[in-house]
Amino acid sequence: MADMPMQQPPGRIILPPHRERARRPFSVRAREWVRRNLFPSTGGTLLTIAAAVVLGLLLIGVLWFVFIDANWRIITVNRWLLFAGGFPREEAWRLWVGMGFVFLLIGLTYGTWSSFGRRDHLFVAVSGVFVVFIMAHGGTAIWSSVWFLLAVGVMYLAYALTARIPRELGPIRTLQQRVVGGLLIASLPLALVILLSGGASVRQLDGFVLNLVLAPVGIVGGLVIGIPLAIGRASTMKTISWTCTAYIEVVRGAPLLGWLFVALFILDDVIGGELIVRAMVVMAVFTAAYMAESIRGALQALPRGQFEAAHAVGLSRMQALRLIIMPQALRISIPPIVGQAIAIWKDTTLVTIILPLRELKGNADSAIAQREFIDDRIEAYIFVAVVFWAVAFMMSRISQRIERTLGVGER
Amino acid sequence: MTTHAGVTDAAADGDRLADSQNIIVAENVDKWFGDFQALDNVTMNVREHEIVVILGPSGSGKSTFIRCLNRLEEHDAGRIIIDNIEMNDDVRNLNAIRSEVGMVFQQFNLFPHLSVLGNITLGPQKVRHMPKAEAQQLAMQHLERVGIPEQADKYPAQLSGGQQQRVAIARALAMQPKIMLFDEPTSALDPEMIKEVLDVMRELAESGMTMIVVTHEMGFAREVADRLVFFDEGALVEQGTPQHFFENPEEERTKLFLSQIL
Ligand SMILES: Nc1ncnc2c1ncn2[C@@H]1O[C@H](COP(=O)(O)OP(=O)(O)O)[C@@H](O)[C@H]1O
Ligand SMILES: [Mg+2]
Repeated sequence: MADMPMQQPPGRIILPPHRERARRPFSVRAREWVRRNLFPSTGGTLLTIAAAVVLGLLLIGVLWFVFIDANWRIITVNRWLLFAGGFPREEAWRLWVGMGFVFLLIGLTYGTWSSFGRRDHLFVAVSGVFVVFIMAHGGTAIWSSVWFLLAVGVMYLAYALTARIPRELGPIRTLQQRVVGGLLIASLPLALVILLSGGASVRQLDGFVLNLVLAPVGIVGGLVIGIPLAIGRASTMKTISWTCTAYIEVVRGAPLLGWLFVALFILDDVIGGELIVRAMVVMAVFTAAYMAESIRGALQALPRGQFEAAHAVGLSRMQALRLIIMPQALRISIPPIVGQAIAIWKDTTLVTIILPLRELKGNADSAIAQREFIDDRIEAYIFVAVVFWAVAFMMSRISQRIERTLGVGER
Repeated sequence: MTTHAGVTDAAADGDRLADSQNIIVAENVDKWFGDFQALDNVTMNVREHEIVVILGPSGSGKSTFIRCLNRLEEHDAGRIIIDNIEMNDDVRNLNAIRSEVGMVFQQFNLFPHLSVLGNITLGPQKVRHMPKAEAQQLAMQHLERVGIPEQADKYPAQLSGGQQQRVAIARALAMQPKIMLFDEPTSALDPEMIKEVLDVMRELAESGMTMIVVTHEMGFAREVADRLVFFDEGALVEQGTPQHFFENPEEERTKLFLSQIL
């Protein structure tokens, strides 16, 4: 390194190579890229060709299966079973209204704090085609796809209207944030009211709808219990911190599977009530322990000076927590919290394995058990996997978006 | 141990502080961290409008002392009385004292998730229950005072160190304190930003604020301070006017320290 200056005559500026290349026409650059990255040498060329052959065969195999070999009738015939199972047919409109409500919220939220990008539109389009294909296939459920498209329309309308409001701070913007924020906070109870205020009982939540109810209850309940737990664990009062630590360590000491057994047998004797409600309680209680640990990590990562500055300004302990500490701690813990949320989303399938409850995967098993579809196990599981993946993917995209939107004042 | 040479015969500053009362009284203050004694029988009074600069080697207890004055640390023995309110376990006293004492930290400690305006309006709104518009107006006045009204809507991370420290000063001032504590306010700054912060502090001193400043900026100490106080190993070793300090310090430890720093 010491002899570098001698090799460079003074005054001569050497452009980094990519700056020169960037000015050449696209076709030249493309050829260059292909040569460099795909065919750099004889060995590299051979590897590229081999990889292309394997990938090509794989792709052909998948396409062949999806469009020719597979019998997707197992899905289309059983679509109601998979979607809502034992949910009363005459209450079905509540599901559509509930779906519309969720889509409305998504539109409002993106319109208020974020924006739809090209990838979001693509995701909506692809999943839209997927859903409409399944619903409309065979022509018996045309109305379902109309409802679905209506919900998508509501989402875009809500988005278009809210995105129009300028982002600069002002009374209208504040009102907008309060209304949408309030709706978001109230959304879970509201959605449950929409689904269950009629003739359907909580016991009749079934199929995919059950996954869609269980996971949010677990996630929201987990946060509601987990945030005070994290604060309590960090408390200087020993009785409080020991109690919270004990809760967290005991809950984490057994897998969710074990706790679901507790819900099935022990809780039945102790509190009784609907099995589904017990399962919800267990999921919230279980998730809370992990959420609490994520948040505690963030609390510890905050510099001590933040507490001190808050006190020096005259804020009380509670005010400091609410206004200074928690907003920062929650922002830091978004990634682990979303990780936890995705885990609980996938773990909703455990309800089928341990408890006599039927969620999407459980109902797929019932579909396979039908004589007509005995050979279509793979189709059913691929479908279930794709649906689970799509929701998990959406969750991680939304979390990235939240991180970016909140990252404004990051250190 | 402690000498008071120069305090009573400080003719030059006598006029300005002629009828000032003691606003801070600290008597025989001890502070222990486990079995380490960080403050050893510190007695020190500060009069209204007085500017006291605390000097001393690192680890001598300067921060600990001024942090005891707004209860970021609890003293273990002795008495601390701020504006006639004794610092004890009474929460009402504590809140009353905290709202009279502003503090500026070495690391600024701005709230990174709030805008500059949000940082400054927080205290007035939440502690003083001031309406938002009024708090914002007050915040703008203080931002103008520290010379950066145009940064109001930025976030702390978007500002230079000097600007952040000036926001921190504005944040403390917005609570309209009677006393300002500064704990090495320029030590974390790049050299070219030190002056802008010292200028703000100088202006504040001229306006009659009571200030205790821990700093290694000898120029500031010489020009602005009414009194210098030297700490070593948790004890108040010597105090007096800047003139006394820089021209004929009495204690060996003071001489040694000044010879190292000047
Ligand atoms: N929270 C604490 N716990 C234990 N020791 C501490 C704590 N704060 C300060 N000390 C110790 O007290 C002594 C005085 O510290 P401090 O007041 O920060 O010194 P200064 O500000 O003069 O550099 C140092 O030896 C320091 O290590
Ligand atoms: Mg210090």
